[in-house]
Amino acid sequence: MELHINGKTYSVQSEGDTPLLWVIRDELGLTGTKYGCGIAQCGACSVLVDGEVMRSCVTPVEGVKGRNITTIEGVEEDPIGQRVVAAWVEHQVPQCGYCQSGQVMAATSLLKQTPQPSEAQIAASMTNLCRCGTYNAISAAVQDLAGGGPSAAAEKARMQAATAANGRGMRS
Amino acid sequence: MSKRRYRKILAIVGAALAVVIAATTWFVNRKPGSPFDGVSASTSPSKALIERGRYVARLADCVACHSTPHGKPFAGGLEMSTPLGSIYTTNITPDKATGIGGYSLADFARALRHGVAGDGHRLYPAMPFPSYAKLDDADVRALYAYFMHAVRPQRQPDRKSDIAWPMNMRWPLALWSAVFTDGGTYQRNAAPAGVDATLWNRGAYIVQGPGHCGSCHTPRGAVMNEKAYDGSSRQYLAGALLDGWYAPSLRGDVNIGLGRWSQADIVRFLREGRNAHAVVYGSMTDAYNNSTQFMSDADLKAIAVYLKSLPGNPKQDGPPWQYQDTPNPALGSGAHPQAAGARLYLAKCGFCHGRDGRGQGTWIPPLAGSVASMSRHDASAINITLNGSTHIVAQGVPDGYRMPAFRHQLSDRDVAEVLSFIRTSWGNRGGSVKPQDVKKLRQRTNPASSDVIILQMR
Ligand code: FES
Ligand code: FES
Repeated sequence: MELHINGKTYSVQSEGDTPLLWVIRDELGLTGTKYGCGIAQCGACSVLVDGEVMRSCVTPVEGVKGRNITTIEGVEEDPIGQRVVAAWVEHQVPQCGYCQSGQVMAATSLLKQTPQPSEAQIAASMTNLCRCGTYNAISAAVQDLAGGGPSAAAEKARMQAATAANGRGMRS
Repeated sequence: MSKRRYRKILAIVGAALAVVIAATTWFVNRKPGSPFDGVSASTSPSKALIERGRYVARLADCVACHSTPHGKPFAGGLEMSTPLGSIYTTNITPDKATGIGGYSLADFARALRHGVAGDGHRLYPAMPFPSYAKLDDADVRALYAYFMHAVRPQRQPDRKSDIAWPMNMRWPLALWSAVFTDGGTYQRNAAPAGVDATLWNRGAYIVQGPGHCGSCHTPRGAVMNEKAYDGSSRQYLAGALLDGWYAPSLRGDVNIGLGRWSQADIVRFLREGRNAHAVVYGSMTDAYNNSTQFMSDADLKAIAVYLKSLPGNPKQDGPPWQYQDTPNPALGSGAHPQAAGARLYLAKCGFCHGRDGRGQGTWIPPLAGSVASMSRHDASAINITLNGSTHIVAQGVPDGYRMPAFRHQLSDRDVAEVLSFIRTSWGNRGGSVKPQDVKKLRQRTNPASSDVIILQMR
């Protein structure tokens, strides 16, 4: 079976019912996509299929043959993906980072379909779980990308103030 | 009336009553005859006979009820509910003291086909003897050989039922049996025109006899009797509400039955536990895990041929389902629905079942056009959402995709909203779901509650 992932074509041996997640991670060694729950509840395994977010742990690989799959390793080749990653850095979103490749994929998908989502649309779409509770930072980053809501601006100001105050900022 | 005449009438009525009582007493206590009376079974049956028996035990799914999840096979002890209280399945291993080790072939056949135990007491019809009555002599003999020679004896005394006196008296069950079972072994019938008669009869035999499909799929009457035991009635396998699930129609109903399934779909479903229409869940998971996957391809084909010959009831079933984007708008990419049900669907269901409700191949079932979405009964939809599915184990391998339980994530209202959305989208006509019905089933499927559903059937 042939899979198109991040612009490359891979030929894979896994059986058709294997979840895409295990093909990506185990057979192809693209381990940026994470396993959290295996039952579509957490979103750690999110990837894009034809630009739309899918949870790869519940996606039988035979269903994505011939479609364009993007994983976190390839997300920056997409202009929107690139902006999302930049905003994630800007807002210093990750804590432990485990859920973040999934969060980035979910945000990229949202912004590809809806370039300027409202706050409510962001809340309804960003349903991935984060054990570390980075939800506010995620929301601020996405709102920033969506054209900047008041909370995005406030969050940015807060970040800058904190950076200036303790001088530990990652970005100058 | 003169005193003498009065006495005379009294004497006649008394005598008549005595005759009736004597006849009833005789009737309810007698052991029905068996073709095996006086026949002694071989003490060293052939390997082929034992293997045949092992297969019949699979067809009949004996193990599903006569075992507990962590107990020894066939040692009994599973709690089952009756309208009168709980009963416990019995030890059917060949242990002499606590099992059926002392049963003759005739005793065994009587229990199986007539619901009369070795000591003469009547079995509750939780044991599907009205169906097993149809087993032919060869299969009964094989089953006996298997139980006596290939099942490991287990010393495990049967547990007494929770039913109190006088309701625990067993003799009235003899009258129940007399009224509601038709008794005889399966008789070959003429197949419908153009259908292979051998296959069709084999299918009918398995479905009506050992497979006892009607125990769940045929509606029941006032005293738990199945309303029909063969295809001569439209009620047979017409779908039934049981144990908090809706067991679909197995007739040609296009919406709530097998009308849209091909023979190959039926075979695949019973062999692999899934096809493009549905994946087994609820009580059918046990039937699949223990029974149908072990059936031979020829028998599965026979079952499919027979089931496909049972006509649907379009009056009750309504016009055939068709995929539609109304009344709820499609949830294409970039859709941001306002309605709570649709939003919940995208967050909780859509990743597996698809934004369009069509599922994924044979792995994740469609909700568009499914029985649980089309039936006016919402029990299955609510139950699976609250409690998820148990593992489907095919050839020893558990499946990779399983419905999670949402009882701790979604409120009664959430479940009602999302199911109402599902049951009114994509052409589905099941209709909306009420929060109070979710609440009821939530309680009745909570093992810690005082009125949890105890299975009547498996
Ligand atoms: S691992 Fe796929 S959703 Fe959690
Ligand atoms: S950053 Fe740790 S789980 Fe989200």
